[in-house]
Order: sequence, then structure tokens, then C-alpha cells
Amino acid sequence: MRDDDHLPIELRRAVDALRETPRIRPEWIASITERAAADRIDAVRSPANARRWSLDARVAIAAGLVCVAIGAGGMYLALGGRSASPLNAPTVAATASLAGNTPVRFTLVAPGAVKVQLVGDFNAWNPVALPMRRTGNGSTWEVEVGLAPGRYTYAFVVDGRLARDPSAAQAASDDFGVPSSVLLVKGGGT
Amino acid sequence: MKCLPVVSAALSLLSAALDAQSPTLPSRLGPEAVAAIERVIDSTRAAGLPTAPLFDKAAEGVLKGADDQRIVVAVRGLARELTEARSVLNSSSDAALLGATASALHAGASVSDLRQIVRPTTGEAPDTHALATAFVALTDLVTKRVSPASATGAVRELLKRRASDGDFAALRGEVDHDIRGGIAPDVALSNRMRTHVQVLDAMPLDRGPVKRPPPVE
Repeated sequence: MRDDDHLPIELRRAVDALRETPRIRPEWIASITERAAADRIDAVRSPANARRWSLDARVAIAAGLVCVAIGAGGMYLALGGRSASPLNAPTVAATASLAGNTPVRFTLVAPGAVKVQLVGDFNAWNPVALPMRRTGNGSTWEVEVGLAPGRYTYAFVVDGRLARDPSAAQAASDDFGVPSSVLLVKGGGT
Repeated sequence: MKCLPVVSAALSLLSAALDAQSPTLPSRLGPEAVAAIERVIDSTRAAGLPTAPLFDKAAEGVLKGADDQRIVVAVRGLARELTEARSVLNSSSDAALLGATASALHAGASVSDLRQIVRPTTGEAPDTHALATAFVALTDLVTKRVSPASATGAVRELLKRRASDGDFAALRGEVDHDIRGGIAPDVALSNRMRTHVQVLDAMPLDRGPVKRPPPVE
């Protein structure tokens, strides 16, 4: 005898369906694990944001605004009162910041990994700055970074653990007990 | 003239804002470690050497969970190796080459060995990028327990034959493969070098991409 015997059959089926224990899908587990790993890295590694701002952000913003205002005023005077297109300045700045950098693609085969990040001299070893994305085959992770000519030491953070790039030269320094890799980005003049 | 103080203040603020972008040490470091590292950085800067590698080394140490004392020791060691590297390179100011040379010294190569690579007694002196590539390969080999003498000799032979970046990378990969397969590091290097030298010697110096030698099993 059920307590819903008085209900129509369709409603009883619906009630039965709601009473069933939901199936746990693998992608839900992966998602939860990924978030937990991210929280763990953030908690443990956040002090590594080495290139922190040594100036109060509000002061820096205020300085920027003053400079922009002075620059705009100067431009206005130089142009004899004509207005300059506000879109020009950011475009030029963006172009300048990319000039001279070589796009470098970092890849790592890590089939079982949930989260992979790139750390190195180019991002002050900050584990949250350069997350890598999984490619279509599901096991290779990659990220592209614009780098100026130079020598860089780097490593991958695979689910919170450091790993060197197996396809690159190994760095000499084992000062900290965890090996790193080395990358040389060729300059135009060498 | 009334606008002069405003411009002056704006320039001061701009200068402060620009200064804010210069690298600083990781906030996790204690005050004693920061003071010690800053002294090393100041003397390195005064010597005209790049200081960015020292900031990077400190950040690397923090990420890898090293304690403050270990990080200070590593930064001091790197500063010393950068100084030695410059003496090897004859005051070269190329930061990448300085770093690669310092790393080779750290791995165990001697100053005299590296000087022979930089200034060979016969043939042309290699260019900056070729030298940096050679030192990165040398460091990798020594880190994999090839003796410094054998590794130094190998990169000299390859540089003499104008080996490409790809040649150095191939040699590294092959030797690594052999060592993992149980071959003694120096033997692995010697075997692989024989093949590389044969291939390079058979090609004209103005060659294009070098065909990879077949694996030695």
C-alpha cells in the first residue's frame, strides 16, 4: 500500500522518478575536482605573485588620469582646438606592447589532468596567470605566450604539482628540489 | 607659468606609477630575507649585471615552497655565477647569454672550459645565440649526469661544425632517451655524437636544415 495510490498513474510515475537517487555524472566529479584544485593552488601559491604593485592602486590610477588629462590638453592645444580620436591612443599602445614579442606555444601531454597552468620567469612564477587549455584530443594542454627575446626558466603546474617540460632542456638549478625547463627565444639581432 | 607646479606634480606621479611596475620581491619573504636579497640585488646592479634573474629566482623559490634561507642562498649563488659568467664572456651584456652561462657554471662546467667554447683557438667565434644554445644544451647534459668534460667537448665539436638549434635539441633528446634506456651518460653522449659529427661533416657549411641521424640502438 503506497501513500500515493489515490493519485493518477502519470503522477505516480513522476513521483517515483523524483524519488530515484540521481546518477552522478563523471563530468560533475571532474568539475568539482577542478574547482577544489584551483582553490588549493590559490591558497598555497598566491604569495608567489612576486611582481606586486608597490604603490597604492588608487594613487596609480589617479596618476594615470592626471597624465591622460595633461596629454589630452596638450593634444588639444597642439591640434589648435581640434579633437583627437579617442580610439587612436589605445590602439597605438596595444601595438607597441606586442611589438618584438615572439608567440611561443607551450604544450604538455597530461591525459588525466584536470587543470594545468604555466609558470616561469615570464609571469613571476604566478600559478594563476597562465592557465592552459585542453585541446580537442583531450590529453594535450596548450597555451600561447608572447615573449621577448631571452632565456626563460619555466615549469607546469599539473593539478597542483610542479612538473618540468619533458621536451625541453632541463635547467641546471635544482636549488629548490624541483626541476625546471629552459627556453631560449631568439632575438632579431643574434 | 602657473601650470608648472601641476606639470611637475603630474610628472612625479607618472614617475611613481612607472616605478610601481618594476619587479619587487615576493610578499611571502620575511624582512630579513628581503633585506639580504636587496643587498645582493643592489651590488649586482652596481656591477652592471641584470637583476631580473634574481627577482625571478626568488619568485621561483617561493612557488616551489623553499624556505627563506634557501631562497637567499640561491639568489646569492646566482649573483656570483652571473659575475663569473660575465668574466667568461668578456663583458657581454646579453642577458640571455649571461643567464645560460651562469646556468652552465651552476651545473658544474668550469670557467676555463666555457672560455674555450666562447673563444675557440681555431675557427670563428660563435655568435651570441649559438653560444646560448650550446650552453643550454651543455647544462641539460650535465644535469643528466654526463660529465662536464664530455659535455663541454661535445658542444665545442657541434659549434665548430655550426650545428643548428635543432641539432642541439636532437642530441639532448637522443642522449636522454639512451640514459633512460640504461646506457651510461658519457657512453650515450659519445655514441650519439659520433653520428652527429658524421652527418654534419658530410654537409656543406652553408647547409639548410640538417637531416636527423637515425637512432642508435
